[in-house]
Amino acid sequence: MSGKAPLRIIVCLKHAVDESELRVDASGHPILQGAQARMSAFDRNAVEEGVSIKEKAGGTVTALSLGTEDVRKSIKEALAMGCDRAILVNSSKYLDALATSYYLARAVQRAAPYDLMICSEGASDTYDGLVGPMLAQWLDLPFMGYVRRTELRGDGSLQCELAMEESVEVVEARFPSVISVVSEINSPRYPTLLQIMQASKKPIEEFPLDSLAPGPGEAAAPEAAVRVLDTTAQSMSRKKILFEGSPEESASKLLEALKSEGVL
Amino acid sequence: MAAEVAAGAATICESLGGGFAVIAVSSETPSPSNFEAVADAIVEVAKREGAQVVLLGATRLGRQVAARIAVKTSQGVLSDVRDLRVESSGGAAAMLTGVRPVFAGKFNAKVASVLPCVATIPSGAYAPQGASASSTQPPATVEIAMGPKAPERVKHIETRPKPKNTVDLKSAEVIVSAGRGFKNKEDLVLVENLAEALGGVVGASRPLSSDLGWLGEERHIGLTGIYVRPSLYIAVGISGQLQHVAGIKDSKIIVAINKDKQAPIFQVADYGIVGDLYLVVPALLKAIETQKAS
Repeated sequence: MSGKAPLRIIVCLKHAVDESELRVDASGHPILQGAQARMSAFDRNAVEEGVSIKEKAGGTVTALSLGTEDVRKSIKEALAMGCDRAILVNSSKYLDALATSYYLARAVQRAAPYDLMICSEGASDTYDGLVGPMLAQWLDLPFMGYVRRTELRGDGSLQCELAMEESVEVVEARFPSVISVVSEINSPRYPTLLQIMQASKKPIEEFPLDSLAPGPGEAAAPEAAVRVLDTTAQSMSRKKILFEGSPEESASKLLEALKSEGVL
Repeated sequence: MAAEVAAGAATICESLGGGFAVIAVSSETPSPSNFEAVADAIVEVAKREGAQVVLLGATRLGRQVAARIAVKTSQGVLSDVRDLRVESSGGAAAMLTGVRPVFAGKFNAKVASVLPCVATIPSGAYAPQGASASSTQPPATVEIAMGPKAPERVKHIETRPKPKNTVDLKSAEVIVSAGRGFKNKEDLVLVENLAEALGGVVGASRPLSSDLGWLGEERHIGLTGIYVRPSLYIAVGISGQLQHVAGIKDSKIIVAINKDKQAPIFQVADYGIVGDLYLVVPALLKAIETQKAS
C-alpha cells in the first residue's frame, strides 16, 4: 500500500453471443435469435486484472457495458467477480465500434472520475480490438494496447509489458490512461455462490442512450458507418475420415493416407 | 506488410472503375509511443488528397492507428477484411465492402462501410503484385513529415526481444501440436519425437502454452496466437476449440488424434484416429520407423 489516493478503475465488457453454442440453419446462416450470450471470454481477463489491481492497491472497480437488458447477465458476473458497481448504457440500437466507444466515453465522463480504464484485446465475436483505443482517443488519454503484465509505480503511473508480434515492449504512462489486456495476462477467477448472491445488491447506474446525445454546440455523435450485410458459415470441407481400430492398424492406415495425399 | 496493403489498395481502385489512384504513405514505423503521431500524419495526407479509403495492415499497432484515424475523422473501420471492393446499388451511396471472419472464424461476415472509411487487412489477404501483374501505375509515395515532437504520453522504457524462436511455425511444412490431452509436461516428448520423425516442428493449443506454460507462448496457435498454413497439421490431444481451429484453417491436411470421438477437432480434420494418444503416438512412431527402414 502506498498510502496514495485509492485507484478508480473502470472495466469495459461486452455481452456477446457464445460462438461455441452458435448453431447454423439450413441456409448456412447463424441462428442468432435466442442464441446463448455471455460475457465475451477475453473480457473476463479485463475484469480479473481490474479486480486484482484493486486488491493490491486499494480502490474501486466499475464495470461498464452497453446494450439491452440482457447485458445485465454479464454485468452481474463482473460484479460477482469483484467489481463494486456498474454502469449500463441502455441501447437496443445497432452501433459499430466508433459509435459504441463514443457513448461509452460520454457515459464515463458523466458518471465518475477515473484513473484507469481496462478493455480486453478484442471481443470474442468480432475480435476487432477497436473500442479500447477509440475510447482513449475520445477521452484524449494515453493508450497502451495488448498488455500482458501491469505494474503500479509509486508516482501515479502504470508500467506495462506489451505483447507485440515480434517483441515485448515495456512502456509507462501516467493516470488517467486506457489499456487493453491480452488473455495471457491472468486466469479469471470463478466467483463463489456467496459472491454471486452479493452481486445482486451492488448498484447499477443506467444511462439511456439518448441521455448521452451531444447537446447544442457539441459535435454530432457518429452514426454507425459500418454494417453487417450477411453472415454465413465458413465452409471447412474436410474429409473427416476416422480410424477406430487398434493403435497399430490406425497408425499404418494414417501413414498410407498421408502418403497418397503427398504430404509425407 | 506494405506490399500487401498496396496490392489491396490497387484492387479497390480497380473496382472503382478508374479515376482513382493509390497513394503509398510512408512514415516512421509506428510504435506504442508514436502511433498517435503516425495516425495524425496519415489524417493530414488523407484530407489533403481527398482519400476515400485509408488502408492499413491488421497488425496490433495497425489496429490502434486505425482506431485513432477513425475517431479523428468520424469514419467507420472495417477490420480484418478481404475481397475489398467499392459497391453501389440502386442509387444508394457507394460503400466499401469486404469479407471478414466472425465468431472465432466459425462464420464469415460481409461487411460494408460508407465512404470515406478506414480498413485493415490481415496478412496473406493480398499477394504483393509482381512487376508484370498489373498495368496500373506504381503508387506515388508521399513521405509524411511527422509533426514537431510533442511529449510522448506513453513513455518507452525498453524493448525485449521475444524468446529466440527456434521454431518457425509460420513457414513450417509439418506441425505437430499438443493439447490438454497430455497429462504431464514430460510426456510432450511424444510430440517432439513425432515432429522430428516427420521433419516438422512442435506447436501448442492455448491451454498448454499460456495456462499451463508447458510450451512457450511463441508456439501458441490460434485466434490470439499464430495462424499457420502447413501441408500437414497433426493435432494431438487437442479438443478443437474454435479459437484453436481459427489458426489452422489454412492447413492443407489436418490430422487429429483424440480419445473422445465427439471432440470437435474431428469435424475439421481430414483424418482422425480415435484412441489414447499414449498408445497411438508410439504406434505411429514405430510405423514411421518401419517404413523408413524398408
